[in-house]
Amino acid sequence: MSRAPEHPIHINLDKCGGCVHCLTACPTRAIRVRGDKAQVIGDLCIDCGECIRYCPNDAIESRTTSFQDLRAFRYKVAIPATVLYGQFGHDTTPNEILSALRHEGFDQVFELSSICELYASAVEGFLADHPGPRPLISTTCPVVVRLIQRRYPSLCDLIVPVEPPREIAAKILRATLPGVLKLRPEEIGIIHITPCPAKIVSINRPATMAKSYLDGAISIRDIYPRLLQALKKIDESTIMRHLFPANVFSGLGLGWSLSGGETRGLKKHRTIAVSGVRDTIRVLDQVEAGQIKDVDYLECMVCPDGCVGGPLAVENRFVAKSRILRLVSMAGERIGVERADFGPFVRENFLSFQHPVKPAEPPLLDPDPVEALRKAARRDEIVRLLPGKDCGACGAPDCLTLAEDIVRGSADLADCPLIRKEVR
Amino acid sequence: MNEDLCYRQEYAVRGGDFSRAGEVSRRIKNLLKELGLDAAIIRRAAIACFEAEMNVIMYASEGTVHLAVTPADVRIVVDDRGPGIPDIDLAMTEGYSTATKEMRELGFGAGMGLPNINRNADVFRIGSDPGRGTRLEMTFARDGRPS
Repeated sequence: MSRAPEHPIHINLDKCGGCVHCLTACPTRAIRVRGDKAQVIGDLCIDCGECIRYCPNDAIESRTTSFQDLRAFRYKVAIPATVLYGQFGHDTTPNEILSALRHEGFDQVFELSSICELYASAVEGFLADHPGPRPLISTTCPVVVRLIQRRYPSLCDLIVPVEPPREIAAKILRATLPGVLKLRPEEIGIIHITPCPAKIVSINRPATMAKSYLDGAISIRDIYPRLLQALKKIDESTIMRHLFPANVFSGLGLGWSLSGGETRGLKKHRTIAVSGVRDTIRVLDQVEAGQIKDVDYLECMVCPDGCVGGPLAVENRFVAKSRILRLVSMAGERIGVERADFGPFVRENFLSFQHPVKPAEPPLLDPDPVEALRKAARRDEIVRLLPGKDCGACGAPDCLTLAEDIVRGSADLADCPLIRKEVR
Repeated sequence: MNEDLCYRQEYAVRGGDFSRAGEVSRRIKNLLKELGLDAAIIRRAAIACFEAEMNVIMYASEGTVHLAVTPADVRIVVDDRGPGIPDIDLAMTEGYSTATKEMRELGFGAGMGLPNINRNADVFRIGSDPGRGTRLEMTFARDGRPS
């Protein structure tokens, strides 16, 4: 597989109209429009995919694993996010969807809901054994981890050091499959099916281990048409359903793709669930300031309503959420994972991070402390000159960011078309 | 100190505006991060500033946070128009509070605010004109101190 660039999000220059929708949508102000085309500033991008939602020209694309990349593997395993079960009609069962994935060339499909339950138990155990500072923060959303590394370095230590379900599942497969199949590890491809552009980053550049257990991620958007076709064929012959015994789904795990799904499994602790990138930033600001009290565990998902609102999903999140809630209620509260069964995993740190999440260098105004002071003062002066309309016409998302770009040397006061001529 | 090497900014705080509680200390913290200050001094300044900001929100009608950053230190002065503090020594006692039940229900007013500022600042001065207002001055040395 070719080495992917740092960020999956990139601009299709043929489609980009140079408008300002993505500028204002970006929560970290990582986009600029230069020469009528949008550009992503890699150091600032957290891969949340907000820009993908707001681009009216569909010009923002996310690099994910291609179907051609899969040819490199002799044995292919799909680990679909449970969001996938909400993408098709009410009469399409999760087992049929898993069959459709097999039909599309995966030799094995690994059902994730029971692993979500395993994760919840591991987190419950960690909370019980570690009385330290609170609230501890979930690792499930890779954008939240990235956001904390860049914007809240002091909160890195609050991230619960348990790998998210997708990595746990892949690790279990990595440990068992080569022996069972008599294949070399590199002949086995383990692929996540996801609504999330950031998963590919967490695979290519994991924050908590040297190398991800996953080999790639395919977006739901990319695989959806193929699965639709496959589901039609499965309708014609039900033999697949007989060939592969039905999976046992965990009700708790199925709800994982919805905001609050993870905290639902932590009944003994005080939890809060946040969704949406702006609300996540607001809550993390409060955590950093010590304003969130009496909370043990914080679940933050940057997509609205949780992963079900991922930008690379197909079905609108309200419909998908309703379908998933129906599946959750059908599966009930039955517990699929016995604590005794996974005890050894926890004791051997099978589910733990290899290393803690490390802070990423924040973008300083200037490496020289005195020069940084001068630039901060100069930035304030420039802000006073600017019209304060935050219109984006200069190519920066707002006046403050333009002022910052000017002191950093990447923009010019003349970029503002509204500024008074005498000032210019 | 050479005035060229000083960054100054003012932030307004409105009394009773609990929905924006922490806004000023958050902005100051983010600015100090951009300026590349040591994490320990940022933490101390943010905690002390937050406590001072909350005092304005809880007790005063309005206040101003004056920030000055130099290569040597961070200075924060918080001026407010409000009831003032009749007995400063008593107010500096841990656990002493005049907070109302409502404030306590919001998680504030445990009587730790001023002592907490005193603990986190390298230099802390407090002056009050009862019936008119309070002025808090805190300085944080950038060359660090054992914390």
